[in-house]
Amino acid sequence: MRATRPGLPLVVVLAVAAALLAIATVARVISARAGFLVERESVLVVWLVGLFVAAVLVAWVSRAAFRRASSPLNLWLLALTAVALASPLLLIFAQHPSS
Amino acid sequence: MTRQLRRGRRAVAALLLTAGILSFGYVADASYVAEQLVYAAPTPIDKTPASLGLRFAYVSFPSRQDHLTLRGWFIPGVLPNGRLTADRAIVVVHGTRTNRESKGDHQLQLTGELAKHGLAVLAFDMRGAGESTPAPLSMGTLEQRDVLGAVDFLHNGPIPMPELGRPRVIGGLGISMGAATLLMAAAREPAIQAVVSDSAYAEVVPLLEREVPKRKVAVLGHVPGGFVPAALVMSRILYDVDYFAARPVDSIATIAPRPLFLIHGLADDYVPLSNFQRLNAAASAPSTAHVTTWLVPKARHAQAFKVTGAEYVTRVVSFFDASLGADRSLTGVAA
Repeated sequence: MRATRPGLPLVVVLAVAAALLAIATVARVISARAGFLVERESVLVVWLVGLFVAAVLVAWVSRAAFRRASSPLNLWLLALTAVALASPLLLIFAQHPSS
Repeated sequence: MTRQLRRGRRAVAALLLTAGILSFGYVADASYVAEQLVYAAPTPIDKTPASLGLRFAYVSFPSRQDHLTLRGWFIPGVLPNGRLTADRAIVVVHGTRTNRESKGDHQLQLTGELAKHGLAVLAFDMRGAGESTPAPLSMGTLEQRDVLGAVDFLHNGPIPMPELGRPRVIGGLGISMGAATLLMAAAREPAIQAVVSDSAYAEVVPLLEREVPKRKVAVLGHVPGGFVPAALVMSRILYDVDYFAARPVDSIATIAPRPLFLIHGLADDYVPLSNFQRLNAAASAPSTAHVTTWLVPKARHAQAFKVTGAEYVTRVVSFFDASLGADRSLTGVAA
């Protein structure tokens, strides 16, 4: 169990991303019946709360894993977690100059 | 613990902290920008065709597929003898963040001119605009269902003015986002037999990437350009609005062999001329294509009618006369 713990944050990051997408979809479908003017704000609020909970969860799991990390392999796994965490930032480079 | 391992731990800690804070902050801000992007406050309608001395009927009909309620005016055409006709109907599609009156590009005056030249007009508010059902702004991806709903209404809906009967042929005229929306709808619906596209974009994403950073949103102020790609992705995740699908350039060739009239202002710096060139090239590709073009000197975005006035009306009416044929209602109905 101890050997797999440094990999846990990476698993949590991926699981949290999937959970957030699922929550957003469910919130959108449920609140769609209330009309768009209500929906757009409630979906955003649900999403932001979910994002905050996800951030706290990832931070907590990563901190625990970091404290136990005692080998280069453990640190590489945590570095990989940081790369996964940073992946949304890659969208910054997706901009196309307008023709 | 070795010195090297300690250094590694410090580096990984910094990496985790930085990646976490930047990523969650970036996604949260992009989500907020997406929420602002998909919402356009409806603008009020101040004037009706009656202000131009025209008869009209208020109409409402559902969009195709998702059945949102859309509201508009049906304005019968006026024949030279003063009688009314609904023989040839033109669906007029407004641009973004406006409505069927569309003061900025003088759409009410334009629809009035079409009616006075014998063309019946169905001018309606697209979803989220004017008096129609609130809905996200998708720059044509979802709004094309509204144009298709308008066609269904003219074909099968309650006849707005029963004494005039149902239209024999249907054409379409769109301006800016309305033009892009109409092009995508016409590609799917052969009942739209002639299309006038004024100031359409070839695809909307480059336009949004350039224009959104210029806009101010509450709390954030100006949106940094780097947030736009993520905001577009978040619009899809949170609101099911796929701006990446708003690409008339991909489907415009399907309009052939139906006649297409592309109009663009030479001074348009909002939807650059390259959009016109791409659309024209794509539309003209089929051997059966029938494309007419008009580049309007000194006209900025969606201002061709304002700049040229009577010439615009003459060209558009001539195009519809040639494409849809003359009015066949013979005498029409007394006004």
